[in-house]
Amino acid sequence: MTVLDVLPDAATAAVLDESSKREVRRAILTAIAIPGYQVPFGSREMPVARGWGSGGLQLTLAIVGQSDIVKVYDQGEDGGVNAANLRRLIRQSEGVNTTTDPREATVIQTRHRVPEDTLQSGQTLVLQVPVPEPLRGVERDMHELRRMHAEGDYSKMWVSLYEDLVRNGVITKTTGYPCLVGGRYVVATTPIPRWDVPPLHQAEFLSLFGAGREKRIYAIPPHTDVEPLTFDDVPFQVEEVSTPCRCGLVVPDGDRQSYQVELPQQDGSSIWACSDTDWCSRQRVGAGLLDPATLTETEVEL
Amino acid sequence: MGYVAAKGGFDAIRAAEDLVANTRLEGKSSWLDLDQIIDRLGYAVDRVMGEGGLWDETTAARAFRQAEGDVIESAHLVRAHRSTLPRFGTTDAVDVDEIDVMRRIVPAFREPPGPQLLGRTLDYTGRLLDTPDEDDARRSALEAAAARAEQPAVDVTEATSDVRVPGRLLDVLRQMDLAVDRRSNDDPEPADIARVPARPGAPRSAVLSTMARAESGALVALWYRNILGPDRNLHEVTLGEVRHGRLPVRVQHPLIDEQVEIGNVRVTEVEAIEDLDGPDEDRTKFDVGYGLTFGHNERKAIAMANLDIALTRADAGSFLEQSILMTTDGLDSSGFLEHLKLPHYVTFRSMVERKTVERKTDERPSTEAVAS
Repeated sequence: MTVLDVLPDAATAAVLDESSKREVRRAILTAIAIPGYQVPFGSREMPVARGWGSGGLQLTLAIVGQSDIVKVYDQGEDGGVNAANLRRLIRQSEGVNTTTDPREATVIQTRHRVPEDTLQSGQTLVLQVPVPEPLRGVERDMHELRRMHAEGDYSKMWVSLYEDLVRNGVITKTTGYPCLVGGRYVVATTPIPRWDVPPLHQAEFLSLFGAGREKRIYAIPPHTDVEPLTFDDVPFQVEEVSTPCRCGLVVPDGDRQSYQVELPQQDGSSIWACSDTDWCSRQRVGAGLLDPATLTETEVEL
Repeated sequence: MGYVAAKGGFDAIRAAEDLVANTRLEGKSSWLDLDQIIDRLGYAVDRVMGEGGLWDETTAARAFRQAEGDVIESAHLVRAHRSTLPRFGTTDAVDVDEIDVMRRIVPAFREPPGPQLLGRTLDYTGRLLDTPDEDDARRSALEAAAARAEQPAVDVTEATSDVRVPGRLLDVLRQMDLAVDRRSNDDPEPADIARVPARPGAPRSAVLSTMARAESGALVALWYRNILGPDRNLHEVTLGEVRHGRLPVRVQHPLIDEQVEIGNVRVTEVEAIEDLDGPDEDRTKFDVGYGLTFGHNERKAIAMANLDIALTRADAGSFLEQSILMTTDGLDSSGFLEHLKLPHYVTFRSMVERKTVERKTDERPSTEAVAS
């Protein structure tokens, strides 16, 4: 008989042991209490490689219970390889139900997108974060970075934005746009596109950011200001999405479109597709452009 | 349930897993047993235990076989396995002077106190590729094993008592008043880097733990960068101790409340003596760095001992501490490098968009217009 034999099953069945989950939950509570502050945590090694969602995975595993319904998607796609892999792992490890519909999910783990649907109170968005430090582009020394955050000294970041504007005519920062959270800490909004930044401001839902490799957790609680860093006379710009999606969906003028990805063709032209595949499918079904019967057969595996 | 336009991801993953399983489980050759891996591929097993941060040859061999010989992948399997295991407690600290050496060399003195014990090493083996007839080699290996089995066991108890537990060279240097004394009590409990992330400003125990499970090649590269590259935190190191031996593992018995020995681990231990030459250093003395890692991995332990003393000497503001703590973990660096293979459709689109917008903005008097 070994020691493992005398332990309850629960202690050995999961990907992450129970005391580690509790440790992650403590870090989450600290993160919620201090919006935007990067809380160090003893990130464990997961069955997926670091850089492949190990931080988001630890957050999800730590917060889900039997009654949760989990959505996992990557680059807006539920069917993507990494999303499918993480979803399978979470379901096998925790025995939770999964969905692709963000409206019915209680926990949504995502890589680099915020759902096009407006999320509600009680929902939690878990974002996988490759680089949690928003100031790394302007400062590498971790002692100095700690001081800058502690003193709210973001002058180097402001200078960098100003130089960018002067050199290039526009602010060229692309994804992971730096934002001031709750008027106090600047955060990296993972690499979500700028398109996804406005929904984080004064949101109804909780956003949790997990960086497994860099061992940091931070949070944007509901009803918190999220202000993209920019100048009074230079409005924050989201990505332009003017071309209609290949799905044929036409969103009325004035309504929010959806973020699109480009699909370059052999002849040099491009067509466009909605990045959020579940949102796109539902809109098309609603508009009578798509027969739902052709889609549902995949639900069991996903 | 929502709608899904493509289930290609899941099917593709399963197909890839089948392809992996075909080679791993079936293959064309006979099944590879764990004892063969432990017995014949010992350096790989030791590296996996060191980088995986777990002493267990069978687990390491299992991981190495599953990873098809990829050491970093094997270390990942071992560490992910560790994450699933609850912790019962910690072992009692062991005095490394108790080490029972199988090999010990002291490059600094011809006849140091204690033995120069060459032991098992590849150092002086001719680097010529053996190309024996496979059947002959297999037969003579079996014959040699049989012959050894017939010989009476050699009594080594007498030698074991003193020669196998040598004193250490640092004590000799201290007696000669040649070593800077840096002993302190400010880091009494070793930091647990699995629970508290080691970041700049971390205690020395956290730095040493980080290096003990770092990727071997990363430590060697960082060391060499200090020799030939832009980092200049090393002057001239002589090795005091290079040892491969066994250390006892002891715990407090949970019921009888006494210390009991539950086994031993093999480690490689190194002391690196640095010739101090800095403007603020005591030029009349040496200072010593320390390296220790699971298994037989001298390259790694030597690099670690060198980097330990380099860090002690590094100037304020040096990036060496951050480099050691943040860039030498094999799982971190490899994982992040390989993540570049993941889809980046969303982020790349955002980058392309900025280029387009920037071009539109560029429709102002350009250098071309000025030139004409």
